[in-house]
Amino acid sequence: MSGLASVLGALIIWLALLGPVIALLTHLSGSAIASALTGPGDLDPLYTSLASGAVTLAVLLVFCTPLAYMMARGTLPFPRVWEAGVLCSLLLPPLVIGLLLIFMVGPYTPLGELLNATPWHLSATNTFLALVIAEVYESAPYYVVGAQAAFADVDPRMEEQAALLGDRPRRVFRRVTLPLAAPGLGVALSVAWARAMGAFGAVIIIAYHPYGLPLQIYVTLQETGLASALPYALVLLVVALPLPLAAFTWSARARRRRRG
Amino acid sequence: MLDADVEVDRREFTVRAQLRVAPGERLALFGPSGAGKTTLLEVIAGLVRPVRGRVQLGGRVLTSTEHPNIFVPPWQRRVGLLRQDPGLFPHLSVRGNLCYGPGVDPSGRELAQVADALGISELLPAMPVTLSGGQAHRVALGRLLLAHCDALLLDEPYTGLDASLRRSLTELVAELVDAREVPAMLVAHELAEAQAFAHWLAILDHGQLLQVGAPDEVVLRPASRRVAELVGYLGFVPADGPEGTVAGVHPERVTSGAHPERGMVLTGTVTGCRPSGAGWEADLAADGTTITCRLPERAAEVGGELVVTVVDPPSFGPDGAAVARPGGWYLPSGPSNPEQVTP
Repeated sequence: MSGLASVLGALIIWLALLGPVIALLTHLSGSAIASALTGPGDLDPLYTSLASGAVTLAVLLVFCTPLAYMMARGTLPFPRVWEAGVLCSLLLPPLVIGLLLIFMVGPYTPLGELLNATPWHLSATNTFLALVIAEVYESAPYYVVGAQAAFADVDPRMEEQAALLGDRPRRVFRRVTLPLAAPGLGVALSVAWARAMGAFGAVIIIAYHPYGLPLQIYVTLQETGLASALPYALVLLVVALPLPLAAFTWSARARRRRRG
Repeated sequence: MLDADVEVDRREFTVRAQLRVAPGERLALFGPSGAGKTTLLEVIAGLVRPVRGRVQLGGRVLTSTEHPNIFVPPWQRRVGLLRQDPGLFPHLSVRGNLCYGPGVDPSGRELAQVADALGISELLPAMPVTLSGGQAHRVALGRLLLAHCDALLLDEPYTGLDASLRRSLTELVAELVDAREVPAMLVAHELAEAQAFAHWLAILDHGQLLQVGAPDEVVLRPASRRVAELVGYLGFVPADGPEGTVAGVHPERVTSGAHPERGMVLTGTVTGCRPSGAGWEADLAADGTTITCRLPERAAEVGGELVVTVVDPPSFGPDGAAVARPGGWYLPSGPSNPEQVTP
């Protein structure tokens, strides 16, 4: 009986969390989806979001994974300072991050001028690069905190044992640390992906163009109303959900295989 | 030859030890928890840097704090360390774990031979999570053997395993060390386990090496009262000599009846009696102190009088150091040399 009550309680909470999605599904009609998504260029925001999300994940993997590892292993001096630094961009409202990014990488800042001075005349505002920058800033803290926990979960004695068996630190990281942290890293990465796909606050300030899905929803809502905007929300869900779901499934399997 | 002469600073005290273990020899480090035994192994393995000293293995200097300062990293030392937790990589199969070291062929003859010798051939495709404690330790041992370590360090590796499994693993390791002719060191908190494994027993307490010698010699002729306490002497009774001289009473070195030619005869009152293993353990109030003795039979009821002989008891002077007893029950062959393990 108490088991049934627990399941019922969990179901109520789950349904409450799912409320907006249920509302979305009940307010969509097939004809509205067809008319919103079948015009020429209607799916461009989807491609933009997928591409920027993928680049964001690559940036996080390459640059934030070593940071998370060092934070987890306590090899950095003043560890609380590093953690506080990561949490700062999590605590600031995304809109504020966008505004502050203008001060940091806007066209009249040293960084902005440096980007413009490259042979490709790059710009960190209203470009694909700007969109990636905004998504990185919105999603990085989620990845770093998750990855730090994943690395902290790896028993340092496993790494020690690998070293005693003849592996240099880089090889230990590749053969032991990374595989053991992989389930946790997968979950952290999927959370970061979800955050990047849904990034809006910073994006609307520094990357109004090109439109990703969240901005397309906002612009469509402004221009033609809710009925035309909601199909894009469905598209966002449909394309963003499989990766986290796959990561969660794989992580659960990997943990079960190791823990029995 | 494994040669270590090191000093390591710990928060509470400094660990100082000088040990030499020849190829094929087995040394057991015995002492209370927190004495610095594991620290010594970690220094040899390169996981801890000593403040002073030198570690040498087979002619290679692994650590030296003297000029030129040398510290060979753990991955270049070829020193195998097996801890209480076998430390198998959970994401790799047994075969993957065994082949982790450099140059191990997953389908090679050596892997098959080692797996066969350890009785784990059937387990090669299994994942570590499915193994029992004993199987996991065998796999971890096989992994070290296949990695061709030049020295084997065992840090209380069998804690938590049942007695028969501990014994069979100890015998197995001893055989393998003999066959491979590598020096081996075992940290043990069970004296019997240390004695069963080792050619040499080293007693470490509070970071200080108190005595090194053959296992029976250390137990029968402890160099000091502290060593005697650590190896199981539970009572000390006044003995002939300067005031404060005592004889150590080991519960297993007591026999019932008066046999003055074999040792010290004590007469006392039984204050407690309980079963112990296949025999009986009795507390005996004698000479103003209480001693514990293990006897094959229940010799007396509580409150009754009991005469026992403490066989060849070691004596300790007022300063705690062992004293020879000319005309006594034995003559020590000479103090153990705490500086040197190899005779």
